[in-house]
Amino acid sequence: MRRALKISLVTVTGAALTLSASACGGKKADSGDGGDTKKTIKVGLAYDIGGRGDKSFNDAAYEGLQQAKKTLNVDVKDLEATKGESDNDKQQRLDLLASSGYNPVVAVGFAYAGPLGKVAAKYPNTKFAIVDDSSVKAANVTNLLFAANQGSYLVGAAAALKSKSGTVGFLGGVDTPLIKSFEAGYTAGAKKANPKIKVDVKYISRGTDFSGFSDPAKGKTIAEGQYDAGADVIYHAAGASGNGLFDAAIEKKKFAIGVDSDQYLTAKPAAQPYIVTSMLKRVDTAVFNFVEDASKGTTKAGEQTFDLKNDGIGYAVSNPEAIKDVQAKLDELKKQIIDGTITVPNS
Amino acid sequence: MNRLKNSPLALTVLAAVLALVFAVAVTAVVLSASGFDPLSTFQAMLDFGTKPDSVANTLNRASTYYLAAIAVAIGFRMNLFNIGVDGQYRLAAMLAAAAGGAIALPPVLHQAMIIIVAMLVGGLWAGIAGVLKVTRGVSEVISTIMLNFIATGVIAVLLQKGRLGHQVAGSDNIGTKTIAPSGRVAGIPYPGANLQVFGLIFLAVAVGVVFHVVVNRTRFGFDLRATGLSATAASAGGVNARRMVVTAMLLSGAAAGLIGMPQLLGASYTYGLDFPTGLGFTGIGIALLGRNHPVGIAFAALLWSFLDQSSQILQFNDIPKEIVAITQAAVLLSVVVVYEIVRRLGLRWQQQTVAAELAERGPAGTKEVAA
Amino acid sequence: MSTTERPAHESDPHAPAIELRGITKRFPGVVANRDIDLTVAAGTVHAIVGENGAGKSTLMKTLYGMHRPDEGTVRLAGEEVVLHSPADAIARGVGMVHQHFMLADNLTVLENIVLGAERLHGIGGKARRRITGLAERFGMRLDPDRLVEELGVGDRQRVEILKVLYRGARLLILDEPTAVLVPQEVEELFGNLRDLKREGLTVLFISHKLDEVLAIADQITVIRRGTTVADGVDPAGVTARELAQLMVGSELPVPELRESTVTDRPVLELAGLTVRAGGRPVVDGVDLVIRAGEILGIAGVEGNGQAELVEAIMGLRAPDAGTVRLDGTDVTDWPTRRRRESGVGFIPEDRHRHGLLLESPLWENRVLGHQTEKPNVKGPWIDRRGARADTERIVAEYDVRTPGIDVTAAALSGGNQQKLIVGREMSGNPKFLIAAHPTRGVDVGAQAAIWEYLRAARAEGLAVLLISADLDELIGMSDTLRVILRGRIVAEADPATVTPESLGSAMTGAAAGAGAPADAPAEPVPAPRPPAEDAAPKEDS
Repeated sequence: MRRALKISLVTVTGAALTLSASACGGKKADSGDGGDTKKTIKVGLAYDIGGRGDKSFNDAAYEGLQQAKKTLNVDVKDLEATKGESDNDKQQRLDLLASSGYNPVVAVGFAYAGPLGKVAAKYPNTKFAIVDDSSVKAANVTNLLFAANQGSYLVGAAAALKSKSGTVGFLGGVDTPLIKSFEAGYTAGAKKANPKIKVDVKYISRGTDFSGFSDPAKGKTIAEGQYDAGADVIYHAAGASGNGLFDAAIEKKKFAIGVDSDQYLTAKPAAQPYIVTSMLKRVDTAVFNFVEDASKGTTKAGEQTFDLKNDGIGYAVSNPEAIKDVQAKLDELKKQIIDGTITVPNS
Repeated sequence: MNRLKNSPLALTVLAAVLALVFAVAVTAVVLSASGFDPLSTFQAMLDFGTKPDSVANTLNRASTYYLAAIAVAIGFRMNLFNIGVDGQYRLAAMLAAAAGGAIALPPVLHQAMIIIVAMLVGGLWAGIAGVLKVTRGVSEVISTIMLNFIATGVIAVLLQKGRLGHQVAGSDNIGTKTIAPSGRVAGIPYPGANLQVFGLIFLAVAVGVVFHVVVNRTRFGFDLRATGLSATAASAGGVNARRMVVTAMLLSGAAAGLIGMPQLLGASYTYGLDFPTGLGFTGIGIALLGRNHPVGIAFAALLWSFLDQSSQILQFNDIPKEIVAITQAAVLLSVVVVYEIVRRLGLRWQQQTVAAELAERGPAGTKEVAA
Repeated sequence: MSTTERPAHESDPHAPAIELRGITKRFPGVVANRDIDLTVAAGTVHAIVGENGAGKSTLMKTLYGMHRPDEGTVRLAGEEVVLHSPADAIARGVGMVHQHFMLADNLTVLENIVLGAERLHGIGGKARRRITGLAERFGMRLDPDRLVEELGVGDRQRVEILKVLYRGARLLILDEPTAVLVPQEVEELFGNLRDLKREGLTVLFISHKLDEVLAIADQITVIRRGTTVADGVDPAGVTARELAQLMVGSELPVPELRESTVTDRPVLELAGLTVRAGGRPVVDGVDLVIRAGEILGIAGVEGNGQAELVEAIMGLRAPDAGTVRLDGTDVTDWPTRRRRESGVGFIPEDRHRHGLLLESPLWENRVLGHQTEKPNVKGPWIDRRGARADTERIVAEYDVRTPGIDVTAAALSGGNQQKLIVGREMSGNPKFLIAAHPTRGVDVGAQAAIWEYLRAARAEGLAVLLISADLDELIGMSDTLRVILRGRIVAEADPATVTPESLGSAMTGAAAGAGAPADAPAEPVPAPRPPAEDAAPKEDS
């Protein structure tokens, strides 16, 4: 029994840590409710595992939601997932939003595909959107897709052009098919810019272990290894773990490339000189646009792809110091992608 | 005689209830301190938790929790700490899903095959820890934790395109080949609910019954319990401790292999990146809460599942859902402490009762002795 | 230093150390202590005797603050006190040495003593000086840095006593301290107690070994059925037999065998049995033959290989050399269960560790060790009905005092636990029985009963290996006696002629070491074996 007590202490400590971690995760969404002019619609949003505070994917969705709230004067509700939960929990989360009159409802992440299919069928009058999935098809479901490989292609070229050592790095969070498409675009872009470039690809975790998206310490260790092995520019697609890359870049005084949002703007000052650019995946834009459409009643079902052409994908130029000497080349490549001269591989 | 047997049980139940009340009180304090109204919060949780969909989902979750806790309890019953239930069930579910997707068999056979594969994989994976313990003296706590990591790695390696992994068109998910309808287990409709109750909830019940019967009614179960109660007395009584360790680990692992089955055969039909994780650790807490007793674990699993379920409404009301983690932790901690107190009180109480009964009987029986 | 040694002495230096008046303690439904009066003069050894279950423990718990009496007053050194907890008692200079040692095996002597009392003298040099000082003053040889697991029983007991002294006790309660000791150790303990007394400490000595009580006590109080039947008896004016009759109100049992039942059919044969622990042989080339109807006693100071010998015979420990034959069959490689199934019974030395599942009901304890045998099982199933019925039989036949078979083993008194074990091990007609300290910590009534069961089984052809620290029991109950020293059989003795004293010196090797065979268990056929160092003796059958 004494052992039992010990175990339960461990469990409790674990719970406490989870709790404090989530407490750090940030205040809830509705602090700036302000004016009580009549709200036209209620927007629901369900995050994937990882949730708010990843300074990347989920946060981008949150930004879009906040923007919609401010400019469109809508009511918002965002719900987070629990680690290790099942499809049923996700289904219930969507159901809870839909049944409480939230319309539209945005599901962030591929894991919602199955649950969304069921909930969308039950609430035909509610508009749904899902980010990064095109497997769910329904008259009331919009699939928000991103040609992240195109953006990765451009930053891959940027990396190769900036590299003096002839080696660039790719730091993936988890080797999911999605992140692999980042890798594919990046490698292709780098090779395009410098056919002799070496691309050093590393993943933080693999398979069902999603810790790679939220482990900056491990991200830093691996990035250091990549820098030491010769890479002088590293692009990450690792969510919150990417912060580890920036720390490594500061220490090694080498270049890094951000992902999803313009990370030059959110990074600490010490890291900024080293952030060449960021691959922009405008989840915020996508979410905002979708909400805007919904407020006007003009949502379109089916796939809606965000790419270079419609500026749903891009690269950041907020650090002109670093990017200006290669910008012309990148814009040329961008044009070629848009007009179809270059087809970026997906895997 | 019944008095002697039953009272500690009643005491145990009372203890569990007290612990729950205590936990709820702690939660209420935390809620108040955070500026939320405890009563309306509890009311919201209760309302949400008792909606038909919530009940169905609570039952579903509880059935996997139950299996997880039984797997842990098998080890606990003989003082073996199988911390590796988590890795065992994930690896088992993955390989069983792959087998079920690759081989199509007629219904019944198909499901049976998948379940047997899962039990074998779980058992063998746990068995490694058992063998390491008896041959090399490696603590099962350490080895099972390590095996969890290895299982994660093995799954990552196998769940790749070209190996056991298949990517669904248009999805970022990657999973094993989907199990054909012949290998699925139909859900049970729950009145008023969208969600169906896993058909394999009956598997959980059956495992509970088998656990109870084996532990309490068989020679093997006796050896198992004896080893747990006193390893020295058991081996003096002829129990082969080494063999018991390996067998218990195999059984614990086999039970662990079942944890993923309700979800796999009842909802997912594939082991993908979104398959639930961490159930093995939840199982440890539930086994403790349920005192390793099949009925106790059933209540514990339902309680835990209900709390998880009803916590979903909290963020909807802008209350951190982790509040429920406080409740769960407080229940667990207080219940372990209270059980120990009850155990000691029960023992002492019984000693006194025995002494009392003997004393009452004494004068008649020993009157010839009186000086 | 001196402050901790003289607590609560201010009031009256000549007041009795303890004065209990009209102590009554009721437990739900039973009066455990009724109207007890007890006066213990300071600086004396006062013995409390009584059968198990007579209420000694309840009384001691009252004194040690483990519970409060319902009626009556407790005075310590003339001052009326209410003790709420053992900590209270310790603060007033009352310390208790329990029958079952409460020591951490994997800690050193020093650490065990300091554990929980770190605030007194820290854990460093000061504590060490204090401990060595105490040990010297009371004549206790102890290396503070030895691990407790390496210590023998006598030393462990001294650690317990030191623990109590370290905490500043002026009044020591010793609960059955001699139950686990051999005569020489008992003598040493008594030496220690006399030193304590000389230093002005008071000792409350609980026992039912009346010879010892008479040897050490200045005064004796007899308790029977919860109350004092004689207070402050002078040991000079009473015999052991009279005391015993006060205790139980009946005749005293004597360990003795009647006519010999020894046959010429060997049941257990050990040849060259050797067990090593850490390279050192702890059982060293033991040859033994026990025949049907024979009780062979092994005398030896605890820790000389008896435990390992038993484990090797039971199959709990693989011997490094030699063979074990049972009924002519070589069973050396058999697992424990198979040996048990072939008719080996085992009354273990430590019934709590090896003999019982304390938190399980009696009927499950009936199954333990026999979980493959009728009537406990049917195929792979536990036969609850059969096991329960047979437990009822044992309870009746062996006079196990219990309200029923569903109570846990822990609820029974030591004697009744032991009777249950004896009954269990005798069932299924064993051929061979290991009885290790079968009457240790058992009251006289149970003791007589257990002896009688052994005699009866012997008469039916049972071969018994008897190990005991009670030399009267060993001499009285054995057909043949062997002495074990450092793992070797070094001497044999004739129980008909040997005396406890001569046997005791053979056990310690004193006789052999002095090279004086005359002092040894002299009369028996082969005089004490040469010192253990040279050639192992072979002839023993």
